[in-house]
Amino acid sequence: MFKFLKEKLSKALNVFKEKAEEEIEEPKEEIKEEVKEKVQVKTEKKKEEKKEEKSVEREIKEEPKKEEKISFIQKIKEKVTTKVIDEEKFEEMFWDLELVLMENNVAVEVIEKIKEDLKMDIVNVPIKRNEISEIVEKTLRKSLEDLLNFEEFNLVEKIKNNDEKPFVIVFFGINGSGKTTTLSKVANLLKKEGLSCVLVAGDTWRKAAIEQIEDWANKLNIKLIKGQYGADPAAIGFDAVAYAKKNKIDVVLMDTAGRQHANVNLMDELKKINRVVKPNLKIFIGESITGNDAVNQAKEFDRAIGIDGIILTKFDADEKGGAVISVSYVTLKPIIYLGCGQNASDLKNFDKEEVIEAILA
Amino acid sequence: MVLDKLSTSLKESLKKLAKSIFLDERAINEFVKEIQKALLKADVNVQLVFDLTSKIKERALKEVKEGNREKIIKIVYEELVEFLGREKSEIKIEKKPFKIMFVGIYGSGKSTTIGKLARYYSKRGYKVATLGLDVHRPAAFEQLRQVSEEAKVKSFIFKDKDPVKIYKKFEKELNEFDIVLIDTAGRDALSKELIEEISLLNKEIKPDEKILVMGADIGQAAKNLAEGFHKSSGVTGIIITKLDGTAKGGGALTGASVTGAKIKFIGLGEKLEDIEVFNPAGFVSRMLGMGDIEALLEKFDTEVSKEQAEDLGKKLLKGEFNFVDLYEQMQTMKKLGPLNKIVEMVPGFGSLNIPKEMFDVQEGKIDKWKDMMASMTKKELEDPDIITTDRIARISSGSGTTTAEVKDLLKQYKQSKKMMKMLKGKDPSKLMKKFRNLKLK
Ligand SMILES: Nc1nc2c(ncn2[C@@H]2O[C@H](COP(=O)(O)OP(=O)(O)OP(=O)(O)O)[C@@H](O)[C@H]2O)c(=O)[nH]1
Ligand SMILES: Nc1nc2c(ncn2[C@@H]2O[C@H](COP(=O)(O)OP(=O)(O)OP(=O)(O)O)[C@@H](O)[C@H]2O)c(=O)[nH]1
Ligand SMILES: [Mg+2]
Ligand SMILES: [Mg+2]
Repeated sequence: MFKFLKEKLSKALNVFKEKAEEEIEEPKEEIKEEVKEKVQVKTEKKKEEKKEEKSVEREIKEEPKKEEKISFIQKIKEKVTTKVIDEEKFEEMFWDLELVLMENNVAVEVIEKIKEDLKMDIVNVPIKRNEISEIVEKTLRKSLEDLLNFEEFNLVEKIKNNDEKPFVIVFFGINGSGKTTTLSKVANLLKKEGLSCVLVAGDTWRKAAIEQIEDWANKLNIKLIKGQYGADPAAIGFDAVAYAKKNKIDVVLMDTAGRQHANVNLMDELKKINRVVKPNLKIFIGESITGNDAVNQAKEFDRAIGIDGIILTKFDADEKGGAVISVSYVTLKPIIYLGCGQNASDLKNFDKEEVIEAILA
Repeated sequence: MVLDKLSTSLKESLKKLAKSIFLDERAINEFVKEIQKALLKADVNVQLVFDLTSKIKERALKEVKEGNREKIIKIVYEELVEFLGREKSEIKIEKKPFKIMFVGIYGSGKSTTIGKLARYYSKRGYKVATLGLDVHRPAAFEQLRQVSEEAKVKSFIFKDKDPVKIYKKFEKELNEFDIVLIDTAGRDALSKELIEEISLLNKEIKPDEKILVMGADIGQAAKNLAEGFHKSSGVTGIIITKLDGTAKGGGALTGASVTGAKIKFIGLGEKLEDIEVFNPAGFVSRMLGMGDIEALLEKFDTEVSKEQAEDLGKKLLKGEFNFVDLYEQMQTMKKLGPLNKIVEMVPGFGSLNIPKEMFDVQEGKIDKWKDMMASMTKKELEDPDIITTDRIARISSGSGTTTAEVKDLLKQYKQSKKMMKMLKGKDPSKLMKKFRNLKLK
């Protein structure tokens, strides 16, 4: 499953090894100071970039983070006294990094995998002690970058290049993750691109699910295809696709009820929707605030019907960004957008630098 | 469900501790590290994990001696229970109207939980009303109206953009009710406007309880979130929802630590009856794989008659489970909730490897089973193993079902039989004893 990533990681680690061997010859003095300086410059830069509107309070709250960062690097430096890092040393060294990643909401399972991969190349490789911390950080950064370096995913282009109309998108995920809202945001975006859309009220279970999507359809002035509460969502989806075909509509966006991946009956229902509606694109809607369960969620939905792309919501409520790493790591599927608010326009393109900064800074 | 994984990793680490040759600081440290991992995986806040486990370690170093290695599990159990509060902390309805306001992040389950509690309290004889103050989410009013209708309680709803105005409009009428459950919009600690709104509501309404609703899968964001809500509205209680998934709800521990509030209820599904009073000892017992008989009994009390419960309980425990009454039992199960939730609560059963499919009996299936069984001969009912392809065809045409459906029933039967074999002779009290005396080998 992680083959793709492993390749990417080992590529990054090769760079690291080359670098380590190159620089091992010429000793540098005062590295300690240099690192410290570098870190401070970086955090200051980050501070500047932060939006002005954020309250003074949050600025203050960032202070300890800066210190943590410095001490993390210092700690690693102090622990390394040998030229070759043995396994025990590595464990010790990585622990601090592990904590940083955990605090930033990367799932433990994913951290362990990253660790194993790093370990393979760092343990028992001769490295200059002064450079160790820097190299580890760089290697990690590089591997995160590679991890998030999926193929450019341009939804609008994809739809426009699709010969056969309509292009059918199904949105699914666990309860309350933001499916209905995100579907509406995407419809809004596509409509602005000149694509004609219909929405499908595929959640016939939750209270007011139909009224909710109806509200959105009215607000966006987009046609909604709906059925009764309790009706078979697959049948409604099927009808909607037929309607779109007949009326030459470009895109069908189908909502589904929230479900726990552990609920086999509801997962079977989703499989049925997939079989009947035959979507061109299956988008998993996850929350950026989800912790370790993000791994299970993404894995199970992927296994059940196959995830083509991911949208993580509630990014505006999250300072950490680790869930992005978790879901990317387990699915190796592109993050298409991030949800960042409750309004129709609160959808933004995925920016990998921003996420990496959030995690490592 | 939920806590299965955690309990497995705890059990694994216990085994490791048992196997280590010397019971020294190193062995204990390693065990503690495993506990830390388990808690971190459950999404407990990183700092809190270290606080909790440092106490555990301190006690373990002092109290765990050669010959009583298993005591470490008791220490873990006690410390976690201590942290969560030794007693169940129920909401005490002590004045009229008793106003409970629900706050939490977007989509955490506030409105659904209100429906569950409306049903819960009105079943217990209180006159309950709901009040809709979510002016932001599309169809929020409609959702609360439908939820209240299903719970058979009155809902106060008025379409307006100003929640304070809505409250004022109904303030007098609310006095007639014992309990008023107040729905608010989802929000987060970072959105200034929404936080100001909730502070204002808190000031105007002066709710008797302020319940923070948290999804079981929330990660490290839990801390800032809980802090934000606590600062703006003074959280007095916590409810964990979505514990029916695989998430472990560690964020709620963080919430409890940040706010000093206790966890009151847990949500275990989307239906109105999917709620349980939070039981700290039970919660930790489940984490450690000891089962939670109390929660099971409480559920029996309200959902099925005592007689039925005893009957089913006895049969379950004795392992007497045959094809003929599979149908009846499934009917009772339907009232109790999914089988996996029930089995999970019986001590000792949580540790068994029961096939997952066992638990996923679709409701519509049960009615069909009745038809199929009616088309079977007495011999077939008593000994389903004799049912061959010809017989399947006959039963399916006789009952108007497909052969696949008949096969499915047979499969279900075989699985039940297998499970019952596993459970047979497992007297829960004995199991409990066994667990307590567990010799770690
Ligand atoms: N702040 C913020 N709120 C969001 C975002 N996406 C969704 N929400 C809010 O989250 C809540 C749940 O969103 P829904 O779209 O109803 O979620 P859902 O997945 O359709 O929920 P179910 O159908 O009940 O499973 C609503 O209050 C939304 O306004 C986001 O990116 N940012
Ligand atoms: N599986 C499961 N789903 C739940 C539980 N509690 C709530 N839900 C589901 O979670 C989703 C969101 O629930 P809501 O009650 O709308 O959440 P909310 O907090 O009111 O959402 P906003 O008002 O948008 O902030 C719905 O699909 C509910 O059915 C639970 O305990 N288990
Ligand atoms: Mg929805
Ligand atoms: Mg709500």
